Amino acid sequence: MPLTLPEVDNTVIESKDKIVDDLSKITKNIIHSEDEIKPYETDGLSVYRQKPIAVVLPETTDQVSKILKYCYEKKIKVVPRGAGTGLSGGSIPLADCILLGMGKFNKILETDFDNRCVVAQPCVANLAITQAVEYKNFYYAPDPSSQLACSIGGNVAENSGGVHSLKYGTTTNNLMGVEIVLMDGTILKLGGKHLDSEGYDLLGLITGSEGLLGVVTEVTVRILKKPESVRAVLIGFNSIEDSGNCVADIIAKGIVPAGMEIMDKPLIIATDNYAKAGYPRDVEALLIVELDGTSSEVDTLIEKVLDIAKMNKASYNRASNSDEERIRFWKGRKAAFTACGVLAPDYICMDGSIPRNKLADVLGYINKLSKKYKLNVANCFHAGDGNLHPLIMFDSNDPEELKKAEDFGADILKYCVKVGGVLSGEHGIGVEKRELMCEMFNDNDIQQQLNIKNAFDEKNLLNPGKVFPILHRCAEGGRMHIHKGRDKFPDLPRF
Amino acid sequence: MSEIFYPKDEQDVSDFIFDSFNKNNPIEIIGHGSKKIGRIIQCSQTLSLKSMNGILEYFPEELYIKVLPGTPLNFIESALKEKNQNLGFEPNDLGYIYKGQSDPGSIGGVVSCNLSGPGRFKNGALRDHVLGFKAVNGSGAKIKSGGTVVKNVTGYDLSKIVTGSYGTLCAITEINLKVSPIPDFEETFVINNLNYIEAIDIFNKALDSSLEISGACFFSEDNVSFLTLNDVKKDTSILGLRIQGPKPSVVERIQVLNKMFKDQPTYVLDTYQTVIFWREIKNLEGYAKSENFICKISLPITNMGNFLKHFQNLKFKYFLDWGGNIAWCEIHNNRDLDQMRIFCLKHDGYLTVIKANDNFRQREDFLTNSNSNLKILSKKLKESFDPKSILNPNKMYLGI
Repeated sequence: MPLTLPEVDNTVIESKDKIVDDLSKITKNIIHSEDEIKPYETDGLSVYRQKPIAVVLPETTDQVSKILKYCYEKKIKVVPRGAGTGLSGGSIPLADCILLGMGKFNKILETDFDNRCVVAQPCVANLAITQAVEYKNFYYAPDPSSQLACSIGGNVAENSGGVHSLKYGTTTNNLMGVEIVLMDGTILKLGGKHLDSEGYDLLGLITGSEGLLGVVTEVTVRILKKPESVRAVLIGFNSIEDSGNCVADIIAKGIVPAGMEIMDKPLIIATDNYAKAGYPRDVEALLIVELDGTSSEVDTLIEKVLDIAKMNKASYNRASNSDEERIRFWKGRKAAFTACGVLAPDYICMDGSIPRNKLADVLGYINKLSKKYKLNVANCFHAGDGNLHPLIMFDSNDPEELKKAEDFGADILKYCVKVGGVLSGEHGIGVEKRELMCEMFNDNDIQQQLNIKNAFDEKNLLNPGKVFPILHRCAEGGRMHIHKGRDKFPDLPRF
Repeated sequence: MSEIFYPKDEQDVSDFIFDSFNKNNPIEIIGHGSKKIGRIIQCSQTLSLKSMNGILEYFPEELYIKVLPGTPLNFIESALKEKNQNLGFEPNDLGYIYKGQSDPGSIGGVVSCNLSGPGRFKNGALRDHVLGFKAVNGSGAKIKSGGTVVKNVTGYDLSKIVTGSYGTLCAITEINLKVSPIPDFEETFVINNLNYIEAIDIFNKALDSSLEISGACFFSEDNVSFLTLNDVKKDTSILGLRIQGPKPSVVERIQVLNKMFKDQPTYVLDTYQTVIFWREIKNLEGYAKSENFICKISLPITNMGNFLKHFQNLKFKYFLDWGGNIAWCEIHNNRDLDQMRIFCLKHDGYLTVIKANDNFRQREDFLTNSNSNLKILSKKLKESFDPKSILNPNKMYLGI
C-alpha cells in the first residue's frame, strides 16, 4: 500500500554506512540489516510498511540527546517509537529516517506512595504501572484496551484514554511530569511531583503531540487508591437510540459512572462467541455501566441506573454481584478487537469522538455507509465520553476492499466532525487521518500548529509526515482567513 | 493613559490585533481587570474583552458550556446552578485579596490565570476542564483548537498552553468548558489542635484511603480568625477534610474518618457550613486587603513539611490546601520571598506571586524557574503565537 510521506533525502540513504558508524560511537544498539529491521517497518496500523535506514535503541537520556543532536546537525529525520501498538501509524518509519526505538527504557524508576506517583521510563507498559503499585491497593487510572502492551511514553504521545476516562480523565489529566529531549538534543524537565506548573503548560502541550515535539525519556504519573467497591451492570436495549438516551439520562441525573460502554448487535455476538461473556444475544444494543466508590454509594447508584434504564425501555439487565462477575462482563468488551479478527481477515478500527446525544444519528449513518460500501461493521463506543470505535471489516488481499474500507472510515470521521465531534478521541491522527485535518481546521488553525512545531523543531526532522496534511492545504476548502483581500501572513512558510 | 478598545466580536478582535501587528503596537489584554497578577506592562492601548459576554451554548446532559470571554463568572455559575451543575475546578474569587470583597471577574480572566480551588487534587486543575477555544493570535489570525468533547487527540492540545498563559499568546474569543454535577450532599470532617507535621501526616492517611476526599486544608491557630462560622473553633488549628457524594455514602465515609481519628478532637460541619467554609478558603478570604505578598507555593507533599520547618522563624501566615500540595502564604518582604523561591526551585516546586505591590510587579520576575533552556523554548513558543511580542509583553516572562 503506497503511502505519501515527505520527500526522501537520498543523500541520507547514500550515507547510511557513515551514519551507522557515527551513531555506533554513541550506542552499540543499532539494527541496520534488512532482516533484523523488518519488525520495525510498521506499527499497529499494519497496512502501511516502510523500512528506516537504521533502528537505534538508546539506553540512557544522554544517548538520546546525543543521537538527536547528531541527527539535528546532519539533518537526518528521526521517528520515535515506543511499543509500536499505535493505531494511527504515528511511528511508521520514513525511508530516510533513523527509527529511535525506546524499548530499552523499560524500567520503573520509583514508586513514591508518599507523593502518590510513579516515575517510569517511557517503554514501561501501561498495565505494569498498576501492577507495580497494586500490592498497596493503588492503580494508574487510564486503561487503553492495549494496556498490556502499550507503553506509557506512547500513552503520553497519543494522550491515551480507555474505558474509565469519563470519571478519571485521560493521560493528560493523570500526568505530573516528563523529561523530554528536543530535536537539537536539549534535555528538559517539565512538571514533577508537584501539581500544576508555572509558566506555559508545556507538559499539557507535549501530551498528545504524537512524537512531533520531543522524545519522552521519563514519565511521572499520579496513582490513585483503588475504590472500595466496584460493580458493573449489563443493560440490553431493543434499539441503539434507547441505549443512547439512557446514557444521556444517567449523565443528566448527575451520575458520573467510572465507565459506560455500548456495543451494537454484531459486536455483542462476536465478543460473546469469542469471550463467552454471557451477553444477551437478543438485544440490539448492550450498555455496560461501571460504578465505583463506597459500597453504599455504588449500591445506591446501581439502583438509580437501573431505574433510568427501565424508563428508557431496557429489555434486559443484570448487575454484577462479585468481582469475578464484573470482570466477566468486561471480558467481552475488552476482547472486541480480537473478536472482530475472527469475523473477517482484516479490519480497521476508527476512532472519532462525538457529542453523546448524536450516538443514534451517527450509528444510523454508519449502517447506511456499510450498505453503500458493502462492508460489514461492528461498533463499540465509550459512551460516557462520546468516543466511537467502528470496526470496519475487509479483506486486504483485495486491494479495492482496502481502499473502500479507508473511504468508509474517512466518511465516518467526516460525519463525526459534522455533528460537532472530532477526528480522534484517543488513537491520534498519525498518517491515518492527517489528510482529514482540514475537516476540522482551516489554514489558520493548522498554520498555528505548524508554528508551534517550528518552535520545537525548526528543521522539521522529528516525526515529519505525521498529523498534518501533506497532500493539500486546508485553504483549498475555501476557508482561509483573507482580510480585505490580503493574506495576513505572507511571510510565513506554508506547508 | 492607555486607550481602551471594546470589540463586539471575534472579527473586531482580529482587525484590532492585525492593525496593531502592522504598526508594532503592543496591547494589554484584559477581561474585567479584576486580577492583578503578573508583571505590570506599559502599553498605549488596551483590548478589553468585557463587552464580549454571554453564554453561546449550554447542554447540561453533554456536560459542557460554551461562553464568550467577557462573561462574568457569577453569571455562568448561576446558569449552571439552575441545572444543578458547577465548574468542577472551583474558580478562586480573588476580589477579596485585592479589594476586600467579592470580584470574581470574567471567565476569560479566570482561564488565563489557571487558578484552581480546593478540589484540584481530586477533580483536576482548571486546564483539565477547558475542552476547546477560539482566539486571535498576535498576527491577527483567528485560530481554534479542541472542541466540546472530553476525548480529543486531534492536533496539539492548545487549550492547555493557552490556559494559564495570562493573555500573552492570544486573545481568547470563545471558551468551551466541561461542567460537573453538583454533589448531592457534602460534609466536612474537622480535626483541631494539630501542628503542621501532624496535619500532613493526617492528609496522607486520609488521602491514601479510598474515601475520595475532595478537599483537604490546614490552618495554623494564628490564621483561623477570618473564618465566619460560629461552630468553627477559633483558638486552635483546623484541619478540614471534605466528603461529597450521595448522602448515605458521605455519612458512611464520615463514620470511617471518625474511626480512623478517634483519638483526636473532631467535629463535623454540615452541608450548609461546608459550602461556606470551603468558599472562604477558595477565595483566600483570610488574606482580605492584605498589604503583603500573597503567594502560592507548590511542592511535592513530602517537601511541604521541610518548607514550613525551614521558614518557621519568619512568622508568616500560611494555610495548606490540596492535601498539602500547596501552601497559600502571606509574606512580608522581598528577602523572605526570594529565599522561599530558592527553596522551591531546589525542592521540585515553584512559588507564584498572586498579589504584590506595584514596585515589585514592575521590577521583579513573576516566575520562579530560571532554567535558561526552558526560557528559550518559552520565548520560541510565545513567538509562534505572537511573532512581534505585542500581546501582554513581559507580563509573564521578563523579555518575552
